[in-house]
Amino acid sequence: MLKAKNRLGLIFFPAYDWAISPTHPEREERLLYTQDQLREEGIFDIDGIVELKPDIATEEDVMRSHSCFPDVKSVTTESHMISAGGAIRAARAVLDGEVDKAFALVRPPGHHSMKSVHGNRGFCNINNESIMLEYIREKYNKRKIAIVDTDCHHGDGTQDIFWHDPDVLFISLHQDGRTLYPGSGHLRELGGPNARGKTINIPLPPNTSEEGFIYTIDKMVLPILKDFKPEVIINSAGQDNHYTDPITNMNFTAHGYALLNEKLNPHIAVLEGGYSIQGALPYVNLGIVLAMAGIDYSSVKEPDYNKNYVPQSKDITEYIKQLEEHVLNNYFNPAPDIERAPVGEFTVRRKNIYYDTDGIQESQQEHILICNDCRGVLMIESTASINPPCIGIEIPVNGCKRCQEAGHKLFEQAVKSKEYMTVLLTDRVNKVYKNVTQ
Amino acid sequence: MLLGIDVGGTHTDAVLIDKNGIKSTFKAKTDTKDLFNTIITALKEVISGVNVKEIKNINLSTTLSTNAIIENKLEKTGLFISSGPGINPENFKIGDNTYIIDGSINHRGSEILKLDTSALEKDIKACVKDGIKVFAAVTKFSTRNNMQELQISDSLKNNGDFITMGHLLSSQLSFPRRAATAYYNSAVWRINSNFLISVIDVVKKMGINAPVNILKADGGTIPAEASKSLAVESILSGTAASVMGITALCKITDDAVVLDIGGTTTDIALFASGVPLIEKDGISIGNIPTLVRSLQNRSIGIGGDSVISITKGEVKVGPERKGPSAAEGGTEPTLIDAMNFAGITNHQNKEKSIEAIKSLSEKNKLSPSDIASKSIDFAVKKIKDEIDRLLFDVNQKPVYTVHEMLQGRKIIPKKIYIIGGPAKAFEQVLKGDIKIIVPENHGVANAIGATLAKTTFESELFSDTGKEKMMIPNIGIKEKVSQKYTLKDAEKDLISYTRKYLENLGYRDSDLNIEVVESSSFRMIEGFYSSGNDIRVKCQIKPGVMMNLYK
Ligand SMILES: [Zn+2]
Ligand SMILES: [Zn+2]
Repeated sequence: MLKAKNRLGLIFFPAYDWAISPTHPEREERLLYTQDQLREEGIFDIDGIVELKPDIATEEDVMRSHSCFPDVKSVTTESHMISAGGAIRAARAVLDGEVDKAFALVRPPGHHSMKSVHGNRGFCNINNESIMLEYIREKYNKRKIAIVDTDCHHGDGTQDIFWHDPDVLFISLHQDGRTLYPGSGHLRELGGPNARGKTINIPLPPNTSEEGFIYTIDKMVLPILKDFKPEVIINSAGQDNHYTDPITNMNFTAHGYALLNEKLNPHIAVLEGGYSIQGALPYVNLGIVLAMAGIDYSSVKEPDYNKNYVPQSKDITEYIKQLEEHVLNNYFNPAPDIERAPVGEFTVRRKNIYYDTDGIQESQQEHILICNDCRGVLMIESTASINPPCIGIEIPVNGCKRCQEAGHKLFEQAVKSKEYMTVLLTDRVNKVYKNVTQ
Repeated sequence: MLLGIDVGGTHTDAVLIDKNGIKSTFKAKTDTKDLFNTIITALKEVISGVNVKEIKNINLSTTLSTNAIIENKLEKTGLFISSGPGINPENFKIGDNTYIIDGSINHRGSEILKLDTSALEKDIKACVKDGIKVFAAVTKFSTRNNMQELQISDSLKNNGDFITMGHLLSSQLSFPRRAATAYYNSAVWRINSNFLISVIDVVKKMGINAPVNILKADGGTIPAEASKSLAVESILSGTAASVMGITALCKITDDAVVLDIGGTTTDIALFASGVPLIEKDGISIGNIPTLVRSLQNRSIGIGGDSVISITKGEVKVGPERKGPSAAEGGTEPTLIDAMNFAGITNHQNKEKSIEAIKSLSEKNKLSPSDIASKSIDFAVKKIKDEIDRLLFDVNQKPVYTVHEMLQGRKIIPKKIYIIGGPAKAFEQVLKGDIKIIVPENHGVANAIGATLAKTTFESELFSDTGKEKMMIPNIGIKEKVSQKYTLKDAEKDLISYTRKYLENLGYRDSDLNIEVVESSSFRMIEGFYSSGNDIRVKCQIKPGVMMNLYK
């Protein structure tokens, strides 16, 4: 009988009764054929592989990583809380030692959800990986965690949430933002003033194939991870780099995804996008499951592989080789942030964010305190087309005394000013979450 | 009158039940070398003095196929698997004659790679040369498209006595389970069908003109005639017989635990709102999972004859049995001896029990009463822990919709029902917050269950309305349907095709309470347009008994 080398927990939550809309790619049967394939292969009978039921995330779980306006309930449905809960269950299984690794095959996805949330963007409302990561930091006393996002789209939400966090290394491999939604993820985006080089973007050209992805992992991702020495590695395992995906232009394969996963060797993988639900997902998911369990995946191959898979051209190979130096430099010798304020003052960033799914326009002013003793208190003023001005103030994990005091003071001032519909306080040091909505 | 025979590992019980209840019972030692003779003896004894014309039904639970598998008395079987992309098919070889043939069907039932017929012909020749007469054909996703299994079967037609095709065993997905189940079904086919032919023949000769049915692990029966080609369905039916016995003896409406305590093992089963729980995937033979439907059941090595051992001052009971208890003339003290010592039971020769516990005490630095009480505590804890584990697993069972996730019903047992030889003794030691019930006639609950069990069945329909396809794999139905085919149509079709199939096989009408248990329809989208519906409907006849014996 087959035995897994690594004990693997699978959290499978296909949400068969939830869709964004009837013909939307993020719809009920997205994981139906994946489940068929995994069942037919007998995955759940393999010695060492267990299927686990998701938790349901709590509002506090969400508030650790998001400022939801006007509150958590207004921007989530039960399915989002179960999907995030699935990721949390995966983390619990690994960190409690129930299993060696875990894969949360859950939907809806989350990696386009940013720190502040007014609605759905890029099929995402709340960020499953960041909610899971903050759960790990809160409950398991881990500090350094890496997220490697292998979805075809730039993980702009995850990037935004950890932009200022030097303890979280976020690496995103994606189709170049000049050619695909959401348009971001350029080389020059490398983290906030207090966390330079801890956000790493690797924009790959359209039609990158197995060779290019594996090269990127070997020559860029792995050396950076080796240096950062994370205690936990998380993979945002989007599957829309597949050559059959209807909404992207890459040339990746099931076998390639399995090999990538084997090399990356994440503790936890969380499903993100992937909309070729018949031609790709059943095989990619199977490949990832086998790779994580340490079982031979060499016979995993799409039925049309020989006919439709095209290896990349020489130009692409050359282009990716040239990326290498820039990417490594961004991590090992990051250029300082020229807009960085002096110590004790705020660095300000202005952002306009479009929520494509819900058609919401948000404009933000983000203030981060430059502090020598901690990551610095964060304040986001946000106005959205559906909400009057709101503000979120966050005292970070391990926030210093001065930043704690500053955070509480900013909160009181904001409430008193009556300028905001909603004022949120996230105090990660004292685990206090306040919401004052007028 | 209804007649039932339950052939167990050590005992064979026969029961005759009429409208007033149990009319006669008979218990004999099982002659494992001659099950046929054991059955005939039991049959003759239990019907002596009865007008055989009044017998309306015979149910039989046998260990024949189970034993053949466990003792590896299997006929050499040629297993042909074609698999397609996925886990390396080498992992699913079973027995010494598995042949892997190129060919592949995908999860939508489309043929991706044609069957390599020249390799197939070559391997068939090798089988013929080897003298192999029984075969099994299993291809990946054959429950979505059975064409390659049919092709293999066709090529084998003139070369053997019997062939099992995977898609006829179950509609459930799981290629490895299907391969193992088909293999075992063929490997015990001959011994099982010869046995059934003899039983049917002898019943006729006794002048009994009643249908003969065989008990299955899911607590239901299958007509003997149909069972000939589905031998594997009759494995591991022993516990199911006992559980069905409980449902006839006690009015169960709540969540409950059933303990069937024997000499060497305790079997644990669960009821949800009065209905025995079915294992969702199928029973395992040893560590090989199959598609054979079964009741949810756990077995642990604690029974009345479980031997007491002491290592480094730690008292343990089981899992071995080293002969009977001291009270019954054995050499080493067992759990029953501990209960005799503690005054809980008064089983056979109590003095011998006391002696045995005392002599164990002399070899260890523990007082006899400590040994007795620690043995009992150990056994109680083992059983309680296993009940908790089973409940945890059942209650943690994953669900796949937001609705079920939020509704999540948990099983919380209100009562424990105990049957089996030492049931009365365990009633005392398990006492606690939960109510314990030992039904009258618990000693023959197994035979009562075997006698009264009704037919069970399960089938599943798949339709891809875009491709105008509908199939019910395990009853061999494949039809063209219109693109407007609805979920309602599918439910209706599944029930009527299943009914027709069962009636043809000799299932009696009164038993055919077919209910739809799962039903879903997904709109499939190509680009941004609908390309038809993916419809799936599952129906079953759930386990039940022909009459109740409680007042
Ligand atoms: Zn994506
Ligand atoms: Zn500070």
